[in-house]
Amino acid sequence: MTVVDIRSDLAEVHELAWEHVARPGSWWTAAQRVDIAQTVLLAIADDDPLPPWVGVSASDRLPEQRVAPDPAHDAAYRIARHAGTMTADVFRRFADDLGELPYVELCAIVSSVAAVAHFRRNVGLDVPPFPEPVDGEPTGERPADLADPEFNWVPVVAPADQTAAVVQAYSAVPGEMTNTWRMATAQYIPNEEMIHPDWSRRPGGLTRPQTELVAARVAQLRECFY
Amino acid sequence: MLSWSSTQAGDEVDLTGVADGTGGFDIDHGDELLRFATQCAERDDTALASARDELTSATDEAFMVDAAAVAANFEMMTRLADSTGARMPSDVLEARAGQIGAMGVAELTSRR
Repeated sequence: MTVVDIRSDLAEVHELAWEHVARPGSWWTAAQRVDIAQTVLLAIADDDPLPPWVGVSASDRLPEQRVAPDPAHDAAYRIARHAGTMTADVFRRFADDLGELPYVELCAIVSSVAAVAHFRRNVGLDVPPFPEPVDGEPTGERPADLADPEFNWVPVVAPADQTAAVVQAYSAVPGEMTNTWRMATAQYIPNEEMIHPDWSRRPGGLTRPQTELVAARVAQLRECFY
Repeated sequence: MLSWSSTQAGDEVDLTGVADGTGGFDIDHGDELLRFATQCAERDDTALASARDELTSATDEAFMVDAAAVAANFEMMTRLADSTGARMPSDVLEARAGQIGAMGVAELTSRR
């Protein structure tokens, strides 16, 4: 069995991310969230992936018993496997089917699960199972002041466009915003250190250019313009 | 960010070496990191294991774990950006025209 020593802050945020998936969100139940997350894992590991324009719910790759609606699985598979092909029209179709804020929450489930799953593969470890879903209803939390930004398709907390588009993207679903940026702090760079070109996590750790080399290569291979 | 941070560090990186995967730039363990990042984003588990071992041998396990975490972060951030339609203001795009050309990303679907 492979043994890798994962630093404690990183291990902790990934454990929290898995627990977060299995708790009720703002718009999805815990069971639905875990259902969506399983489709993310399926999409990432799929050796014969469906093309972007084919919905996974129309295939035989999902279990018959599903608790999230089919468009949620289709969106999760598409974003998990073919995010670089997303267009405004595809977003609008999913948002019309699911609701804009449930769509934002789904995006956050996909992106956070993808991070943990890829990290485990990157270091040679298996992906752990999700915890049992916690009972309870979604909170329905909707921030009071939402705005339509110029630099995202999704609504964000007002005032819009005062920060980078990637920073404001999940602000309309606060629980996902917190989880995502907690993960980014442990995986990449604490936000307050972004302006420091000589920041390193520890002596002998990745320098900033080394960090950005890895980031640039992965983003380029994922065909992400941003 | 790579262009900015490397310039700040006094070693401007030729981004075409990142874009085409050939490396050859003046960053410590740059070629090992480039090969590891490439295999993290590809699908060949054997090649990934080889790149992981190569990077760990050249540095140490903690360094490899940190690099693996950065790669994972950009599995997260690319999906965040592309699913929410994130884009940059026109003045930022103009300022980064050189990097965009060097990285060969000007024609991507994800350019909005």
